[in-house]
Amino acid sequence: MTFRKSKMLMVLLVVLVISLLPMGTLAAKKVTLRVLNYFDASSPGASRELTEVWEAFEKNNPDIKIVREDLFGEPFHHKTESYAAAGRLPDVIYMWPGGRSTTLHTKKLVKDLTPFLGEKRNEFSEAALRPQAGGYLGELPIGLTATHVMFVNTELLEELNLKMPKTYQDLKDMVAPLKAAGKDVVLVGAQDDWVMQSVLFSMISGRIAGDAKVDQFIAGKVKFTDKEFVDALKFYQQLFTDGVLNRNVMQTPYGEVAALFAAGKAPFMIDGDWKAGAFLTDPTTGQALISPEKQKKIVITVFPAISGEVVSGTTSSVPGVGFGMSAKLKAGSAEEKAAWRLIEWLTSEEVQKLRMETGAAFPSRKGVTSDQLEPLAQERGLFYGRVNGTYVLDDQIATDICIPINIGLQEIGLGLATPEQVAKRVQAAYDTWAKK
Amino acid sequence: MKQYQAKKEERRAYLFLVLPAVLLYFAVMAFPMVFSIWMSVSDYSGGQIFGGSTPINFIGFNNYARMWKDQYFWISLKNNLYIVLISVFGQIPLGFVLAYALHRNQVRNKGFFQTVIYLPCVISSVIVGILWQTIFSPYGPFTELMRHFKPGWENSLLSNPRTAIIPVLLVMLWYYTGTYFIIFLANLQKINPEVIEAAKIDGASEWQSLRYVILPALSGVIVTSSILAISGSLKSFGLIFAMTGGNPARRTSVLALYMYDTAFRGAPNYPMANAVSTFMVVFSFLLIIITKLAEKRFGGREE
Repeated sequence: MTFRKSKMLMVLLVVLVISLLPMGTLAAKKVTLRVLNYFDASSPGASRELTEVWEAFEKNNPDIKIVREDLFGEPFHHKTESYAAAGRLPDVIYMWPGGRSTTLHTKKLVKDLTPFLGEKRNEFSEAALRPQAGGYLGELPIGLTATHVMFVNTELLEELNLKMPKTYQDLKDMVAPLKAAGKDVVLVGAQDDWVMQSVLFSMISGRIAGDAKVDQFIAGKVKFTDKEFVDALKFYQQLFTDGVLNRNVMQTPYGEVAALFAAGKAPFMIDGDWKAGAFLTDPTTGQALISPEKQKKIVITVFPAISGEVVSGTTSSVPGVGFGMSAKLKAGSAEEKAAWRLIEWLTSEEVQKLRMETGAAFPSRKGVTSDQLEPLAQERGLFYGRVNGTYVLDDQIATDICIPINIGLQEIGLGLATPEQVAKRVQAAYDTWAKK
Repeated sequence: MKQYQAKKEERRAYLFLVLPAVLLYFAVMAFPMVFSIWMSVSDYSGGQIFGGSTPINFIGFNNYARMWKDQYFWISLKNNLYIVLISVFGQIPLGFVLAYALHRNQVRNKGFFQTVIYLPCVISSVIVGILWQTIFSPYGPFTELMRHFKPGWENSLLSNPRTAIIPVLLVMLWYYTGTYFIIFLANLQKINPEVIEAAKIDGASEWQSLRYVILPALSGVIVTSSILAISGSLKSFGLIFAMTGGNPARRTSVLALYMYDTAFRGAPNYPMANAVSTFMVVFSFLLIIITKLAEKRFGGREE
């Protein structure tokens, strides 16, 4: 080999090494995060969420690549359980504080986020950071949720010369005039069996039995067949016998009820506070189920006072849904840091403000406000300031026990079971669960 | 020796050719089946199955016993039997009558009716479920129509536990009749018209030619249709899931939906859901054996 040839070879080698460097050692390693996201693509705020939350994060964090799966409804829950069964949980996952995400919490498949949060926990409402189904902070809530609110169409009440009910008796007195006008009294989309328990019965049991009693039920110190729980079921049954609730609520699909309320089929609708989002304007079409002008006539309140209640004027509330981090991420790894950066962003003030504007969630952070809220979103914000919350049963009680409550509520409504029979079944489910 | 070598080579070639299919069969059929049976006798309670932190134990037939004691299992089984009945004694006879009427030129515009009767079959069962849910909804067109005739009429069809399954059965009748209609129409066209003509010349009435010529010729098709109807009925899911979700109070549930509820809704109980699926397989075998016995007794008169 001549000197000239070996020199050329050296130059080529150097060029080759330099050209490879940016792809290898010189370039910052890009972290890939797998995310399972719960996303209703048909919701009014969907387009904003895509661009202002997800695309914005990737733009501002070029060192993180997001591989995101968007699912909604049952497919989301199936995928979550499948991932859990296969031991392949995504790095960041959308979760509930209990209920359908119980497996993730109780099997400790997600990390406790308390150490990550540190001093920043003061920026969140204390209610949002309550320990979740696994006894720790498995997900950082993106919002707070009141699972019971009563939407009131005051315009329709005025038309029919009716006034806002203050007590249950007032509501009951409206049955006859509303029926004469061809209207239902209260709409509930309760075809699915979780609905009654979540949006109505949790509030009733909170008011009649109180949270302290629910704690005792869970601890096995008192029985579900005791007076308080049976009384709550009896009051629920009374709603049907008095005609305040029509049996038809059991065949009203959950997704249909907002449109029925907007069409004025009844002056009241009971649902979770999240339903407010269904009435807001969709920025992509400019259409709203209830126009901002008409939204001013909609009041968000709670069920009127019940005779014999131990607490008054309450809703049932729960720390909202949020994002958790897979327990498999190695402590101190780049993936763990990237996952936390994403969770921080998803629960940031900026994102919570956006979600408040689209009606997706009420902020879990303190002091988040916006001047772009439609009347109903503003009303929702005010609602949180004026009511207190009691437990949501399926957030507190094991799902094995909640199933007979859910089905039992439908059976009571349909006249297939008495409150005593349902209470007995719930207690039996508790006894079986307690033995495990 | 040469012959032995050739046979060995032939066997190797066969093995080589069937291996992909065997592997595929094991992967997608045999393994899931065995796995499902194993799961049904275990106490798996969620989380990672292989290599997870919670050990999975054998608990015998506890899940089957629990299923047996559950009233919603019996409600689902009863509804499945209703569906089997509406399929075998509703869809098949109706499909045959419609096919016969068209084949024997009892109506004009054959092409139009053929299309209309078969049309539902090409629509997704979920779409059909949502469509009929809207129609039967308390605020839907059916209620409006009934109120036109009887003002103030309350639609409690789906909320009355005694009648809730009826709309579902009616929709199933409407949805699946087209399949049997097409099967019968195709087989009616295969019958030699000269045989029917000969019967007519011999003085047979329309009813007699149907009773003694056409029906015996179609007996095998009727049995095959029954097997299809029974197996199809047991796996009913999509339409009911979309239409009622098995509610109110699980009164319109069927076995497949009961299995789904056990596996996915509320507290996921995979072992019990697998016990339900194993029961469904055994039950299907039982019904197919009964149909086969019926075939031996009544079928095979096509010649």
